[in-house]
Amino acid sequence: MDFKTYVEPTDREHRPPTPVKIVISGGFGVGKTTAVSAISEIPPLSTEAAITSVAAQIDRIGEVPAKTTTTVALDFGCITIDRDLKLYLFGTPGQDRFGFMWQDLSRGALGALVIVDTRRLDDCYPAVDYFEQIGLPHVVAINCFDGVLAHDIDDVRWALAISNDTPLITFDARDKLSVRDALLAVLRRTRDHAKERMLNRYRT
Amino acid sequence: MTDESSGIGPPSASSIRPYLARHGDGPAQQADDGDDPNVSPLRPYLLTAGRSEPIDDTLEIEAQVLTNQLDAASAERLAFEHRDIVTLCATPVSVAEVAAKLRLHIGVARVLVADLAAAGYLVVRRPSSGLPEDLDMIEKVIRGLQDIR
Repeated sequence: MDFKTYVEPTDREHRPPTPVKIVISGGFGVGKTTAVSAISEIPPLSTEAAITSVAAQIDRIGEVPAKTTTTVALDFGCITIDRDLKLYLFGTPGQDRFGFMWQDLSRGALGALVIVDTRRLDDCYPAVDYFEQIGLPHVVAINCFDGVLAHDIDDVRWALAISNDTPLITFDARDKLSVRDALLAVLRRTRDHAKERMLNRYRT
Repeated sequence: MTDESSGIGPPSASSIRPYLARHGDGPAQQADDGDDPNVSPLRPYLLTAGRSEPIDDTLEIEAQVLTNQLDAASAERLAFEHRDIVTLCATPVSVAEVAAKLRLHIGVARVLVADLAAAGYLVVRRPSSGLPEDLDMIEKVIRGLQDIR
């Protein structure tokens, strides 16, 4: 069993809430931290995390790939659902490094919100690819900075080459209710996934 | 990587490893890489006696940590970061919050929390397994978000 409690809390009063999380992803400067700030009940916190990557060049003396550790800031916020349930929102650090940090963030996540800036569409490809690969339910959300979408949403879908069943929505990362609705879109996707899996299990 | 089979099991020692409790003396002034004034000047791995993997390296960064009331009194004996964590977790917070609020590297916070939990100072509530398929839980989160106005 992977998940366990260190000390089995006996007293219900003295039991920490169950944590759940949603990953907020996208390229640099698309509004991840803005979105987290808009809805988090605590001011977004930032912590240092290390990403270890193996350098492309091989160290000639030892013939061992040189390892580099980069420190990145991990931003996150939280929403208390009730006494026994807390939702965390973690922004993925860096846009195209997929070190263990991404696995850490995605493991056990309910889903992911991939934020897109239509002026820099390419920035979100790595995130979309990653979530598709690991099978994490996700929604692509175009951040409309000024409330208007410069392109037709179908054109954006085509340009992003995302599958038809991946929801594509627009939202405003500065607006609390708009962020709430984007997160709800993620959770509905998660719910659909869960139902599909249950049905598949019955069929087999 | 630590050996998982020996790493995850119940703690054999009932207290914090002695070398972990005495880290605060010397090396603080050696901090010469003051890139970020917000980060503890101690080199992170001094705090964890060189380990970068927690006893249980699967501890999630969102896992909830709460001070174990039974042990709150004995926390007086703890030093520095250990004591700060036990104090901070009087109300439940995540491992990530421990890192952010005490300005610790997240890997360090993970190690320290895991150690303190193993020694009985903290109660840790981890995400339940199979969460992404738990329909009741998903519905509960949906309703909770819908209540946000």
